[in-house]
Amino acid sequence: MRIESRERDGVTILDLQGKLMGGSDAEAFKVAIHKLLDKGRKRVIVNLHGVDWINSTGVGILISGYTTMRRSGGDIRLLHVSDKIRSILYVTKLNTIFMCFESEDEAVASFADD
Amino acid sequence: MAGTIIIEFPSDYKYLNLVDLACGEVISGLCAGHNAANEIAISVIEAVTNAIEHGNCQCPDENVRVVFSCKPDRLCVEVADCGKGFDFECYIRNMPDPTNIQHLRGRGIYIMKNLMDSVDFEMVPGKGMKVKLEKLLQPKDSDDGRKD
Repeated sequence: MRIESRERDGVTILDLQGKLMGGSDAEAFKVAIHKLLDKGRKRVIVNLHGVDWINSTGVGILISGYTTMRRSGGDIRLLHVSDKIRSILYVTKLNTIFMCFESEDEAVASFADD
Repeated sequence: MAGTIIIEFPSDYKYLNLVDLACGEVISGLCAGHNAANEIAISVIEAVTNAIEHGNCQCPDENVRVVFSCKPDRLCVEVADCGKGFDFECYIRNMPDPTNIQHLRGRGIYIMKNLMDSVDFEMVPGKGMKVKLEKLLQPKDSDDGRKD
């Protein structure tokens, strides 16, 4: 999995590319989240547009990032959640945890309400 | 489409691509709606991930075997590893709450059981563990068969 980071209106967008599963993906995502926290970046959008597929381990990776960010007073929101990812979030009821957006504009704007 | 398709590969995550493609090919020939197709693919990937990670402990010398049996009204998928197996009855009785975000792992079997119509486990002594997934098929225009 490849992770690229960019900023927009005080919000960090992590563009994920590839497959989100266990192993090195977990470490890469954890490092990315901690780097953001070190910089004081606590408003994060994870863009899943480039993620081919995800498994339950990948969902665990997102949860790990979410709990880390929340403990630090931040939040992670999801952008471009595919049908497959949505099915996993829905069946595990984690759709009630993650805020999901179809448009980057809306995702960024959602942080303005906080 | 009726028939049997078998793929076998070493225990390496890179072959999940192959499994995903095989699922897509098999499902495209079946009378399955979009949601059912996604649910089958997700479940098979979960079963194969477990076989690679927990069954064969990522040992590249140990293969994972996936058998797709296509029937007019259902798709049966068997995922077999070479591992020691586990006490699946005990696991299912004590399955972790998937909504508990303190748990980063342990949702695979829950997902399979909720997306497929039937999930069974079989331990074959000396040979490994086999997960049997079954999905009843419905016409494409009568999607959505999701179980809540």
